Amino acid sequence: MSMIDIKVAAVEQVTPLVKHFTFVKQDGSPFPAFSGGSHVVVSMNVGGRVHRNPYSLMGSPVDTEAYHISVRKQEQSRGGSVFMHESVEVGTSLQITYPVNLFSLAKKAHKHILIAGGIGITPFMSQLVDLNRLNSNFELHYAFRSPEHGAFAAQLKAICNDKLHCYADSKNERIDLIDLLSKQPLGIHVYVCGPNPMVVAVIEAARNLGWPENHIHSEQFLSPGIGEPFKIQLAKSNIEVHVPAEMSMLEAIEAAGVDADYLCRGGVCGRCEVNVLESDGALLHHDHFLTDAEKASGKKIMPCVSRARCDRLVLDL
Amino acid sequence: MERGYWIRSKPVYTSLLWHEKATSHLVVAQGQGGMAVLKLFQLMHPKQAITVLYMPHAEADYSKTLVKVVPEGLQLLETEQEVLTKLDSVLQGMCMGMRLYIAGSEDFIWSVAKVANKFGIEDVGMMKELTGTLARPIYCVHCKATTHAVTTNIVKCRGCGRMLFVRDHFSRQLGAYMGLMIDAESPGELPDIEEIYP
Ligand code: FES
Repeated sequence: MSMIDIKVAAVEQVTPLVKHFTFVKQDGSPFPAFSGGSHVVVSMNVGGRVHRNPYSLMGSPVDTEAYHISVRKQEQSRGGSVFMHESVEVGTSLQITYPVNLFSLAKKAHKHILIAGGIGITPFMSQLVDLNRLNSNFELHYAFRSPEHGAFAAQLKAICNDKLHCYADSKNERIDLIDLLSKQPLGIHVYVCGPNPMVVAVIEAARNLGWPENHIHSEQFLSPGIGEPFKIQLAKSNIEVHVPAEMSMLEAIEAAGVDADYLCRGGVCGRCEVNVLESDGALLHHDHFLTDAEKASGKKIMPCVSRARCDRLVLDL
Repeated sequence: MERGYWIRSKPVYTSLLWHEKATSHLVVAQGQGGMAVLKLFQLMHPKQAITVLYMPHAEADYSKTLVKVVPEGLQLLETEQEVLTKLDSVLQGMCMGMRLYIAGSEDFIWSVAKVANKFGIEDVGMMKELTGTLARPIYCVHCKATTHAVTTNIVKCRGCGRMLFVRDHFSRQLGAYMGLMIDAESPGELPDIEEIYP
């Protein structure tokens, strides 16, 4: 996969847990423009192991001088975000993928309702620029733990004025989803990005209120879970790969030198899908891409987030 | 005819079924589509408000039965234009969660869809049942006129008079199948004209 060489131009501590990074291209040339909601995958070398984490681009889509991402430190994670927080500083060189948009705004919407939880605000930051530029009708509902954790709230206020509604958990402020999604005029689209329970709650609320699926948009990058180690056979490459507990199948395949496709590395885009040729145990599907029927059939797996519990698993790679 | 391979743009029609999570239902039907509405009312009635707009047609008029079967919210209209005008005003008062059901000829379905599009309702958000006829609306790619109710493989464009070959390629934007001049290379040389969309 072709990558862009970047260096870190600025690092800013935004909240106790969130850092904002500004990237410029290593060779000083401009970045490609992107559309609001896009993400890049940042590749980092953590103690000899390559981690690749997806992060939403949060700057203006027309600003090609610099890319901006924000990273929340996930203490229980496998190290990517901790590395970004503790080892990346101004001048650090990294590689990123070209932007990909899996969370784009519906062009024909009459109004957009954006719902963010915590660090889930980042994809909306670039979308807001697009919405303002197109003079689109929108409202942003932003929930966070407490005011000190409300990253970019002041900046958002300046961009959105009275279209911004903030909810601090510490003050017992909650988004009333049923109230928010009921009695909305036709042609509205809802978007949610945040922690899993919030994403599920919004999708469920909208569905129960009869909203058509194509008016409900969500983005949630799952991080590949830690699990039991297992072995896989790659049929085309004719090799066996060991997947350690703290590595995803995709990472292990890459580490073995096999080129595998991916876009989101978070179980949503479907790009990494591989055919399972043979297996003698359970596939542990963790993605949001395959349908329940496909998961049950055991013929496909998304190696970026899913794992397996079996002695023999042969993939068509 | 473009048989034997999958044409993605070709619309998919189903039988109407109540959407159980809807907050209100709007059913729009024409002519033989009245039968689809009657079938719909054979199923368990949803609790939410139902509005039915029906326009009888020369070939099929189910208004008498509909009046008996539809509990309330039935409006009978005479012309397609009346249906579309009524639809426009009804949609203005509707909220997200409303589900739209359309039954009738392809011409009718896509005229209704066009009005619904204006309100931000997309193709996949509408349930459509094709009834009575397979007749197609044909958009002339040369003069941009649409010829309605085409039942044959080749049709004379009502705009420019060209003989158009009726394709399976459908445009949702235009609500019509594409028609392409058939005798461009050898004028006047036409294959047999056959009724294939009765
Ligand atoms: S890379 Fe997107 S689902 Fe695996």
